[in-house]
Amino acid sequence: MSAFIIRRVLYSVVTLFILSGTIFLVVRFTGDPVALMAEASARPEDLERVRHQWGLDRSWPVQYVTFMQNALRGELGKSFNYRLPVSELYFQRLPNSLLLGLAATLISLLIGIPAGIVSAVKVNTAWDHVAKGVALLGLSIPGFWLGLVLILVFSVGLRWLPTSGAGDWRHVVMPALALGWYFAASMLRLTRSSMLEVLGSEYIKLARLKGLPDFVVIAMHAFKNALIPVFTLAGVNLVVMVNAAVIIEVIFAWPGIGRLLYEGIFQRDFPLVQGVVIMAGFMIVGVNLFVDIVYAFIDPRIRLSR
Amino acid sequence: MRSPRFAAHIFKMAILGLLLLVAAVSLLPFSPAGAAAKGKLTLAWHAGFASRWLDPQEHDGTATPDNFFTAIHDALIKNQGTELYNHLALAEHFAMAPDAKSATITLRKGLKFHNGDPVTPQDVKFTYENYRGAKADVFKKRTERVEIVNDRTVRFVFKEPFLDFPILFGTANVAGPAWVVPEKYYKQVGADGFKQKPIGAGPYKLVNHEPGVKIELEAFDGYYRPVNVKQLVMVSVPEAATRVAMLERGEADLVYFVPGELINKVSKLPGVVVAPVLSGSFFVEFPGFQDPKNPFHDKRVREAVSLAIDRRAMNQAETAGMGKPTGNWINDDVQYAIDWPEFPRNVEKAKQLLREAGYPNGFDVDWVTPLPTFYSRGERLVAQLREVGIRSKLQTMERGIFLQRLQGGLKEFPGTQIIFHGARIGGSWSFWYEGHFKCGGFNSRDRVCVKDLDGKFDQYERSVNPAERKKLAEEIQRGILENYYIVPVFRHAFVNGIGPRVAAAKWQDVFPTITTGYAYPWEDIKLKDQ
Amino acid sequence: MATIPADSRFPSRRATSGALRAIVKLTREAPLAPVAILGGLILVALLADLLAPYDPTLPVKDAPIFSPPFWMDGGSLGTPLGTDFQGRDILSRLIYGARVSLIVGLMGTLVAGGIGTALGILSGYVGGWVDQIIMRVTDAWLALPAIVFAIFLAAMVGPSMWNIIVILGLVYWTRYARVIRGEVLSLRERDFVKLAEIAGASKLRVIRKHILPNVLNTATVLASLTVGVVIIAEASLSFLGVGVPPPQPAWGLMLSEARPTLMAGQWWLTVFPGVCILLIVLATQLFGDWLRVRLDPQTRNL
Repeated sequence: MSAFIIRRVLYSVVTLFILSGTIFLVVRFTGDPVALMAEASARPEDLERVRHQWGLDRSWPVQYVTFMQNALRGELGKSFNYRLPVSELYFQRLPNSLLLGLAATLISLLIGIPAGIVSAVKVNTAWDHVAKGVALLGLSIPGFWLGLVLILVFSVGLRWLPTSGAGDWRHVVMPALALGWYFAASMLRLTRSSMLEVLGSEYIKLARLKGLPDFVVIAMHAFKNALIPVFTLAGVNLVVMVNAAVIIEVIFAWPGIGRLLYEGIFQRDFPLVQGVVIMAGFMIVGVNLFVDIVYAFIDPRIRLSR
Repeated sequence: MRSPRFAAHIFKMAILGLLLLVAAVSLLPFSPAGAAAKGKLTLAWHAGFASRWLDPQEHDGTATPDNFFTAIHDALIKNQGTELYNHLALAEHFAMAPDAKSATITLRKGLKFHNGDPVTPQDVKFTYENYRGAKADVFKKRTERVEIVNDRTVRFVFKEPFLDFPILFGTANVAGPAWVVPEKYYKQVGADGFKQKPIGAGPYKLVNHEPGVKIELEAFDGYYRPVNVKQLVMVSVPEAATRVAMLERGEADLVYFVPGELINKVSKLPGVVVAPVLSGSFFVEFPGFQDPKNPFHDKRVREAVSLAIDRRAMNQAETAGMGKPTGNWINDDVQYAIDWPEFPRNVEKAKQLLREAGYPNGFDVDWVTPLPTFYSRGERLVAQLREVGIRSKLQTMERGIFLQRLQGGLKEFPGTQIIFHGARIGGSWSFWYEGHFKCGGFNSRDRVCVKDLDGKFDQYERSVNPAERKKLAEEIQRGILENYYIVPVFRHAFVNGIGPRVAAAKWQDVFPTITTGYAYPWEDIKLKDQ
Repeated sequence: MATIPADSRFPSRRATSGALRAIVKLTREAPLAPVAILGGLILVALLADLLAPYDPTLPVKDAPIFSPPFWMDGGSLGTPLGTDFQGRDILSRLIYGARVSLIVGLMGTLVAGGIGTALGILSGYVGGWVDQIIMRVTDAWLALPAIVFAIFLAAMVGPSMWNIIVILGLVYWTRYARVIRGEVLSLRERDFVKLAEIAGASKLRVIRKHILPNVLNTATVLASLTVGVVIIAEASLSFLGVGVPPPQPAWGLMLSEARPTLMAGQWWLTVFPGVCILLIVLATQLFGDWLRVRLDPQTRNL
């Protein structure tokens, strides 16, 4: 087991190195951030001064080494735009993104699981198609459009909810719905197939023979077993949502990490983009590692895999 | 009947009482702001926030940071209302010497920073000498020294006559050394710390700063003018549809940049006043026109382009008619900008000119590149040019790439191309020329380079005679317009929305400063219940 | 009759004729609605030049901008579904947009599938260092938020429909690599593969004759599910300003450009392209679901 864990940790480290190198290069290929930080009437001397201030006049390898040295010490650089350490900005926004992500995950579960159950229990009937349709709608509508329609209907039209920004629970509802519905489809699929498997198994047939009503059979046996992969998926999705819900955050002016990244990209704020992507990568790789280890505990065969 | 002595006694008592009263009143802390300020105003800003905008010391030279630092800081002289640069603010007296080799400024009495420290000439000197933002090199190069004359007066001494000093110094969207920052505090927290928690001498002090999200301000009761609204909150809302929803729901009292498609809707909202502030100038550039093989080398072709453009239709469609089809590509709110009549539209004459120039069937333009993100007007230009036979394709690109390509000069715009550019530059016509026309300019690079005009511009810069300068300015601008080196299109309206809670008999009540599209001076905005 | 069975436990001999017969069988049993929608859209895309009344990139002469659909006040039959901000006919743009959306969706999926399948096979079959490196790169790629990566690439190489296709392909290949690798790993242990290796067949031959046909099932299922994602991603890229460049008609771009009009009451500018996107994505998703169940029960849990 420990060999497995060590191997997996090693993999994660290598992945993070590749990730940091990739984002470092990608960001620099998009061009010169200095031209964006000074406009209209700036002179070449102004640009050079700014370039030097940020160490952008050094060669890329030198910049990369400096960057990695600092990263290993936990310093991910200082944002050009906000003049704050990137880690500080990231953690400032993290609670907001976590809140949105959790709410959206909840919604994806609330839509996906019941739909999956209905779909599996009433397989191949009209109910199956309706349930699938509802969950799939989330995949078939671009998030920005859904978000704006929600604002139009619930905020401007019905005046039930505030339009945007962070605040109390009422501010979270619409962005969470717009974000979470997208992931409901995968929840549905997983729930449905797991349930179908369990429903067709010998165990269930026995339970039915025993005379237990269908409802009990479903609730107690099928549902429980189907949930593990679903929650795993939910966890993985949550991490993605926390770090990459760019469009929803822009539409709803939600002060999250996705928006931080979005603005960083368009402002060519190298340190910010690098730092956020690495922190996000850290989180994603970390969660995957955790899930892998947990699964290895549960299923011994996995420990032997490469 | 009482005796005269009694009357005299009463009279003396009255005088004494009056004197005492006056003395008592004059000793009261004079806090007009604290007494009157109430209510809350929310501004929905149309993009992200950059923290450097809260620090006038690192002014980036764009017409953007002034929206922010004008709330927190104040300047010695500044642009306000219809005054382009010489409105006395922190200074109660400002004078350029007749030979323009020095400028003397006297501070008002009793000025304070938000932390209670007084505003001193030492702060003024520090602000000037420590200034690192746009045009810092100009100030440094031309200033001999900064003298503190007495406890309220500062003199700037220049190496040679510095005619542009008042404009550079006093225009908030050009440079920032007039915006006084507290030396002690600035050094204590450092430049980066200052951008998180700035302290200034302006009408509002910072309460909370969430970088990139929200800036919360509160009226400063030590400000020398009355501040009406107690709480001023600026939120970043990049999505236009969401901003309009906020206006409709009353979540925002002021909303910037209503896009063309929503102007009509906003104007119909109950209690909402539309504020169509004339803003950036949009114009057509012909990179590579100096090349004899380029169709735009021929002045007639450039004139044909001008005749083909339907400025009124563009204005109507893009800004619901609230912009202004222009004569001069340089805005009229800068020094020495000349007036020019609106260019006519004449499709037949355009075609004729093209025939004369040797293009009876028109010609192909590789790309028309509009300023991001104003793609829809680029599309209209493409359609309008097609009518006279000039066939082109729209090229869109993300803003960062666009700015970078501009920096790269001609080689980034090979072949036959048109750039549909836009700019808003404050202060002086010369900053427009310097940035967008002069060979080597930040925007123009090597794409223009008209030698004789550049030569005249050098003369202008070297000249110390205002009359001669004005004459040269006019000649140069005329040269550009008569030769169609740049074809002005229209002056776009930065359309903003004023919500029902704001007191605005007309929109200019909230947007009185003509040199900007933003709602400052902030202290003058009133809410309806005040 | 040697058809390709749903269960890939059996070796695939005479792959070609079996494949044809399988396709015919599939078509007869396929779900009606998704296929009808997809078929219809493909037809529209192919016949766009004949069907569309106007040029989708030019304003209609003398038509007002923001003209509503013909059944509303102010609409006209000449522009039956209305006009947009530039005065272009919406119906024509929708028709030509089918072409763009289908090309972007299908080609993007092909690029993603091609890269992902190739890497998956390489990783799974060759193993060793190659496998480790590819897997780490895949992990790193997965940790990069897809949209972010797409913005960077689009900003670098500039917007054009073909660049977008490549970008979307580069972003979405990771889905394939992982899954295909898993398939290949289990295939490698099968008797028929081992027999071929013992018989001296070169690695390339084994891949071509035995591995590839068997992973194609999985790849096809994945592809049908990815098409929808790619089409939505095109809309997202347009929202971020780095999608298919105007004035080309693409449904995602139309939806994104018309965002402000949602608040202004001109619903037709967003609803029509939105419904089109909805239809095509739903159709491919449902079709993919059905395909998955029929072709390969192993991938049911995707």
